[in-house]
Amino acid sequence: MSVEENIGKAVKDFLAEAEEILDQLSLDLVALSDCADGGECSPDLVNSVFRAAHSLKGLAGMFGFTEIAELGHHLENLLDALRLGRVDLDQSVVSSLFESTELLGILVRNAGEQGAEAVDLSGAMQRINECLAREPKAAKDSPLSRLNLPERVLNSMTEYEEHRLLENVKRGRRIYSIRVSLLLATFDSELMELTEQLKQVGEVISTLPSASGGMDAGIDFEILFGSELGSSELTPLIDREHLSIVRFGEEAAAAAPVEEEFHAPLAVEGAVSAKSMSRTVRVDIGKLDILMNIVGELVLSHSMISEVASRMRRNGLVAPGQELAKAAKGLEKKLSELQKGVMEIRMIPVGQLFEKMSRIVRKISREQGKKVELKLYGADTELDKLIIEDISDPVMHIVRNAIDHGIESPEDRSAGGKDEKGTITLSSFQKGNHVVIQVDDDGCGIDVARVRQKALQLGRIASLDEVTDREALDFIFLPGFSTSDTVSEISGRGVGMDVVRTNIASLSGMIDLENFPGQGTRFTITLPITLAIIKALIITTAGRTYALPITSVLESIIVERKEIRTVERKEVIQLREATLPLLRLSDFFQLSGDAAPPESCYVVVVGVAEKRLGLVVDDLLGQQDIVIKSIGETFAGFKGISGAADLGDQRTILVLDVGSVISEATRGSA
Amino acid sequence: MLVSTIDELERFTIVEAASGFEALRLLPREHVDLIITDINMPDINGLELISYVRNNPNYQSIPLFIVSTESGDKDLEKGLALGANEYLVKPFDPLKLQQLICKYLDA
Repeated sequence: MSVEENIGKAVKDFLAEAEEILDQLSLDLVALSDCADGGECSPDLVNSVFRAAHSLKGLAGMFGFTEIAELGHHLENLLDALRLGRVDLDQSVVSSLFESTELLGILVRNAGEQGAEAVDLSGAMQRINECLAREPKAAKDSPLSRLNLPERVLNSMTEYEEHRLLENVKRGRRIYSIRVSLLLATFDSELMELTEQLKQVGEVISTLPSASGGMDAGIDFEILFGSELGSSELTPLIDREHLSIVRFGEEAAAAAPVEEEFHAPLAVEGAVSAKSMSRTVRVDIGKLDILMNIVGELVLSHSMISEVASRMRRNGLVAPGQELAKAAKGLEKKLSELQKGVMEIRMIPVGQLFEKMSRIVRKISREQGKKVELKLYGADTELDKLIIEDISDPVMHIVRNAIDHGIESPEDRSAGGKDEKGTITLSSFQKGNHVVIQVDDDGCGIDVARVRQKALQLGRIASLDEVTDREALDFIFLPGFSTSDTVSEISGRGVGMDVVRTNIASLSGMIDLENFPGQGTRFTITLPITLAIIKALIITTAGRTYALPITSVLESIIVERKEIRTVERKEVIQLREATLPLLRLSDFFQLSGDAAPPESCYVVVVGVAEKRLGLVVDDLLGQQDIVIKSIGETFAGFKGISGAADLGDQRTILVLDVGSVISEATRGSA
Repeated sequence: MLVSTIDELERFTIVEAASGFEALRLLPREHVDLIITDINMPDINGLELISYVRNNPNYQSIPLFIVSTESGDKDLEKGLALGANEYLVKPFDPLKLQQLICKYLDA
């Protein structure tokens, strides 16, 4: 590549990056403009806008785009003044910021073209200077003196930090000094942890290190912290050894914090805004998929080695066989660590999903004039990133429904003796190889009588008492089934509970619904932790071997022949309180099995979404990790098969698609 | 940029700390003859670093320079008050930095 080409490429890269920066800048400015009316703005947002302008200016200067650099410099100055509180954020500042950003966009696009028209920047720059010349409304004399902050802290605060301190005081937050003694060798991770905890309940204003009294290997930190929490609330949150908390200006207790109608989930919001400092790497999830596949292949190779080892021992090569088996055991251990490691990279906390929901709850409850409090539990439960993304729409729909149809208006609630404010609870926890997400509301529950009525109307049932309450509730998962007579804006978006069910089923998940008339509903979504490598139950039927994803298997039982009854030409068994329909897998695949059915057989109870089915099989061969491979277009039409897997002994078996087996088996019965 | 400027002065070994925390950890491990710090850093700020260095008997005599942008003049003043020996305003002349380093380290 010639020097000119190199430069050309560098310029192209610059222009691409500049456009990216400007896109982000515009987005952030919209958010900034929203909070200009409210008067309160997250310092992270202002900082992010400031950094964007700063890097744009720097890059442009390096490549000799003087106009971009000059306007960028003006923009940066205004943002810096905003960041430091030298200029108040109002709409005239916002419009000046927008104007300059737009002009920068034009300049960047022009830079990529020959002979573009010149752009006049003087007006925009003058308006920035006008904004800069205005004095902020707030008096400069600070209420900081009342706090009696120690001089060592005040002296080492930057102008920005002083401004943040002032903002915290203005908002009536309490100011604390948190002193902690740590070891020099490990202080950074511990301090980072403490800071993260603090950020969830307030703002860390400054962090002053000092030599530890006496201890050579130690270091002390004094953290200046602003929060709405009182000492008694704060202390248990961050309690640890060698830590003390002092509140400044106890007597100067500022105005009581305004009670918010909706309690924002501080923990989650804090966690999200704190991400910029963490030492993270962004990785395309596709790369992780490849790694996961390789791990899968290694697992198979390992199975092969173990198999060879046991064959060697059987054939008289005892000593080398044992040695090989031992080596294979070590390999297995490391492999499972590797698998776990790769899996963990894909994991993100459910809190990210919950945080989205909290915004939706806030928005919809406001639109509907309902009072709703959102409670979150288990936000740190982790799930595969892809699953979290795919589950977000179904959960959102359930939450929307809960507010729309579940939670009553404040008047109705007080009339019914309930708290005016309704509660929606999102909770998540791990249960074996699954993660459970529960959505609870304390609204009016589902009116089963109306569901029956609707089912009758749609011709799903012939008479009202044809189905039990439980079965009637299943109707809400049918396409086009809505008991709401007036379709509101929220529920009229064309996604119904049927889509919710389909989405969850496609993740090998299940959904259950519990209804408490007059008291609320509970949706329970059970999801596999990851989809990449799955554990499977290997079964045989009529001499063939199949794999069943363990995530769809609820239990396996031995059933005596006399326990099997026939109802409407279908075989069923009584399993605890429920009637479980059975399906002979050999019949499903039309395999010729043994002529005489045995006295007892294995029944594998599988479930997808809220459906349950008992699969009758000949034998259970055990559990194994498998990697599902596609069997290609040719076989795409075969019902009940989702792919193929290698068992490690050179045998390839088919993997059952439990969802489609169930829907095939229950077709016509609904 | 800063590192490459000093690199030209071949006699010196440069230890770079990517953050204030890293600087705190490096201090006891490396024998440092001169500290150059920015004001804005992600964890602790440059002023806090100066305060730490100047109040720690092991390091209090190490010469220290601060670097900031022109809008940070108030911060620079505070830095000098805390005991910084010299300050530089970005963008600064590499020659000036080299001269300052020589002034403190060749004596």
